[in-house]
Amino acid sequence: MDDKMSERYDLAIVGSGPAGVTAAINAKIRNKKIIIFGYENLSNKLYLAPKINNYVGFYGISGKDLTEKFKEHLAEMDIQVTYERVDSIYAMGEYYALMVNDKTYEASSLILATGVSFGKPFKGESEFLGRGVGYCATCDAPLYKNKTVTIIGYNKESMEEANYVSELASKVYFIPMFKGDYDLNENIEIVNDRPVEIIGDNHVNKVILKNVELETDGVFILRDNISPDQLVPGLLVEDGHIKVNRDMETNLPGCYAAGDATGRPYQYLKSMGEGQVAALNSVSYLDRLSRQK
Amino acid sequence: MIKEVMDNTFNEEISSSDAPVVVDFWAPWCGPCKMLGPVIEELSNEYEGKVKFLKVNVDNNPVVSQMYRVSSIPTVMVFKNGSTADTMVGFRPKNSLKELIDKHI
Repeated sequence: MDDKMSERYDLAIVGSGPAGVTAAINAKIRNKKIIIFGYENLSNKLYLAPKINNYVGFYGISGKDLTEKFKEHLAEMDIQVTYERVDSIYAMGEYYALMVNDKTYEASSLILATGVSFGKPFKGESEFLGRGVGYCATCDAPLYKNKTVTIIGYNKESMEEANYVSELASKVYFIPMFKGDYDLNENIEIVNDRPVEIIGDNHVNKVILKNVELETDGVFILRDNISPDQLVPGLLVEDGHIKVNRDMETNLPGCYAAGDATGRPYQYLKSMGEGQVAALNSVSYLDRLSRQK
Repeated sequence: MIKEVMDNTFNEEISSSDAPVVVDFWAPWCGPCKMLGPVIEELSNEYEGKVKFLKVNVDNNPVVSQMYRVSSIPTVMVFKNGSTADTMVGFRPKNSLKELIDKHI
């Protein structure tokens, strides 16, 4: 076992954009044991920005140059970004369990700085969640043995899931939401059409597309990015954004959020300010925790 | 304490209880179920004597799972007087589960 996993971090930061990076730097200054999950480019949104004129002190800087500055800052402070994708986070009471592929990390406190890039749900999607609609085909596939399953796939990985489901289900429809070569088992029917709505009575029974309707027992929607309340079950989300107060606290104790994920305006300085507030309050939370022990 | 029930003992366990019954539908291959397990275990100790806790392995008990249309796990159902009073799908933190259970005591 990786020794990273056996220790419990004080703080886990999910996201390496301006909010996450600022949170990491501030928590590190306060001497907390942190882990930050993200990407090599830190944030593609920032990296690809041609010119930034509202970042105080850096008039006319490019996103790429600003990213470099962030990286230098992190390196100076000996903060390494962990390039892994967090699949789900569970509030276990005293700590948070972060699932990363087949690994689990533990942290006493959490800052969500995941940005906004999840799509809008389909009509009927939220309504039938858990009653035929699911987000993890491989998780729930055995429940669809000898039944009809429809998969709305946004990426290559969704095809692997479809292939797995097709070994158990009696019929699998695959609706590709991306272009490219489809590597699917022969018994899977590809439906090239745009999904519009998921309908049913008590339970899903149909997916309505622009041109056809598919009778189905289950629908799995496999997107690139998952919404924050799917990432952290039980997290309160309002109008697609994580609900926070002035202290950047969410409804879960010890869980904070910062940046675009909490709402508009989507700006670097707002994200960074929130990241800082979240980090400092997380530090106070951790200090309270350790005093209780 | 959580009692493991099967297809053939389920109805008896549900209908013989005057107290609300919380049922955890789970399977060994389900990650979120594994995380929920200890949370439910804690709750079962806290509600000892007030609420009955059962768990159903959906792999081995397709009849009950189909009857209650369990299509995603973990699913937690609350039964009162032999019928379903509430359903919660997916992992939930302890406080949310407490709120769910408290509604029915």
